[in-house]
Amino acid sequence: MSELWIPLMVVIPLICALFVSALSRFNKTIKVIALVVAIVIPIIPFLSNYGLHIFGGFLPMTDSITGMVYHPSIVYSFGVLQKIFIVILGILAFLVLLIYINKYKKASGPYIFLLFMGIAAVTALLLTDDIFNMFVFFEILALAQVGIVAASSLDNNYEMALKYMILGAIGSPMILLGVGFLLAITGSVNITDIVAAIRMGKVAITSPVFLMSCGLIFFGWLYASGLPPFHTIKSGMYSKAEPHASALLQAFTVISMVSIILIMFRIYSAVPIFEALLVVFSAIAMILGVTMALTQTDYRRMIGFLAVGELGFIGLGIGLGTQFAITAGLFQAVNEIIITASLFIGFGAIAYLSGETDTRKMGGLIGYYPKIAILVLISGLAMAGVPPLNGFQSKLMLVQASLSCGYPELSLLAIIVSIATFVVFVKAFYTMFLRPKPNTLKISNKKAPKSMVFAMVVFLIIIIVLGFFPGIVTTGISQFAGGLL
Amino acid sequence: MFGYVLMIITVVSAILALIQSDLFKAAILTGFSGGALAVLFQLLLAPDVALTQAIVGVAIIPAFIALAVKKTQREDS
Amino acid sequence: MLFTQLSVLITAGVLIIIGLLAAIFIDNIIKKIIGIAFIEEGVNLFIIAIGYRPGGIVPIIMPNVDKAYYAANAAYPLPFGLVLTSIVIGASTLAVMLALAMVLYKKYGTLSTSVMLSGNSKGEGKDE
Repeated sequence: MSELWIPLMVVIPLICALFVSALSRFNKTIKVIALVVAIVIPIIPFLSNYGLHIFGGFLPMTDSITGMVYHPSIVYSFGVLQKIFIVILGILAFLVLLIYINKYKKASGPYIFLLFMGIAAVTALLLTDDIFNMFVFFEILALAQVGIVAASSLDNNYEMALKYMILGAIGSPMILLGVGFLLAITGSVNITDIVAAIRMGKVAITSPVFLMSCGLIFFGWLYASGLPPFHTIKSGMYSKAEPHASALLQAFTVISMVSIILIMFRIYSAVPIFEALLVVFSAIAMILGVTMALTQTDYRRMIGFLAVGELGFIGLGIGLGTQFAITAGLFQAVNEIIITASLFIGFGAIAYLSGETDTRKMGGLIGYYPKIAILVLISGLAMAGVPPLNGFQSKLMLVQASLSCGYPELSLLAIIVSIATFVVFVKAFYTMFLRPKPNTLKISNKKAPKSMVFAMVVFLIIIIVLGFFPGIVTTGISQFAGGLL
Repeated sequence: MFGYVLMIITVVSAILALIQSDLFKAAILTGFSGGALAVLFQLLLAPDVALTQAIVGVAIIPAFIALAVKKTQREDS
Repeated sequence: MLFTQLSVLITAGVLIIIGLLAAIFIDNIIKKIIGIAFIEEGVNLFIIAIGYRPGGIVPIIMPNVDKAYYAANAAYPLPFGLVLTSIVIGASTLAVMLALAMVLYKKYGTLSTSVMLSGNSKGEGKDE
């Protein structure tokens, strides 16, 4: 019976979003509703059993002549990977809402609505086993992200939102066209059915229509995950949202990237060029992300580009295509969500306290905010892959995986990019915290918001625990990756 | 034959909408294109989709565009 | 038979290409958005054309229709269900884009995207 909890993972945030939007006149009420639901979201996955949920009760039908199984309705599948990601997303969502509610006396109903819509959309992307359902929630996610950016109070946020929206409005019909091609060849939108049709040889793998659908969905995936050529717009989105929101936005990006890449991997892994495409685009993303981060003077842009570069590691792991490599890539995804969120919130606290985002005008902040400095330092070291933090574990796994696949060049590239990340981060840390304070910088007497420090401490605990005991996550992911192949 | 006429209306009014210098006329031509598409859906054996497309394509999308044009400027500078 | 399936597919392709060209090359933001609406309409037409069966019947089960006749002649209804959702999504993205365009028109006083999205006018916009 407890499989009934599976749709509730999507339904509860959606209903909460509607309630919060409808009741936005009552300030206290929406704050309480939002916090309660944010606590509930990470608990639901623990209550639920692993399994499938079939909407509408239309059970799979077997064709008596060919022996094929058809799924006539939308299917959600919940497994160990989904559990890990939903719990992490839930914890992050709770902390982000806590920061938001503490920061503003008057909470905005529509803004919380957008946050919950985004959470519901990525949860559905993770759970869904239906390629059209993926498209619908992809579109909802894009709208929610645009709304979150448009709702921030920073300069030029509307321009960034409109740019992202126009690109999205070109990218999502491309995904739909790809879905249409798949539907035309296989007659189904259920991924399990499509995979079965491909395995049984009903689809010619080298047919131009199939390759075209691969290319179109790949284009949409590049847009959703902000890999090149979309890396500037994605990092721009991060820098134009408020810091807690950009922590959530990057989690949306990572999770949507992982879920769409897994769907594509299931369908297209037989296409010989697919894995090469993944690896090439990931390698370009890694190089471009780090080199563009080196030239930035705005530290929010810098973290945005570093986050894009880290996405390349995930793509690399999945593109290599062995069980160990996929485990490494997905573990890297889990780590990146936590580390980047911690960095965004830490630098957000600095931006809130000093009112300055340009690293050239900053300095000497360690004397004023030692707690935040240390927390930011540890998360930055985790991102660069310094032992014994969690970033080290996943990057080590990736290097081993690419070595064992016979690509020492890729492991060399991964190591160089890690070192470059370290350099970027240490340079920024030095200019912001360690060098003498310039006279033009005014330090206000405000104290660091407690909720931000609390959130960073929670992330720090997760970073260290995963660094020492990666098995908590990797054993589950490894099982999943074994089932995928 | 009727189907081909509808296809030509859809494509030609789409092109005309995009080369119009008056944005208000562009909005109305978008409605033409959407309406022809709705009838085409009916001919393609999808009456339920045709109903939705008739409402969205003929009324809602041109109305949104016309409202936006009214609030901004009419000429394509 | 009124027309062939191929001609519908070609129409859809032409609509998508017109929309893409407009969305990439036209400078005016409203026309860009109209072009995006054409892309969506073209994709919808394409998916409808997948389900079409020349000389078939409408896929609605009436009480007096023989089941074997229905199964042999009805069009494929799954794409029609998908397109319903897709039309509504297209309309909502269009509304959001137009709203953002109106906000930006207030700020810049022009509909030209090259001015609007460059991010520097009236002394605003510190970065990029």
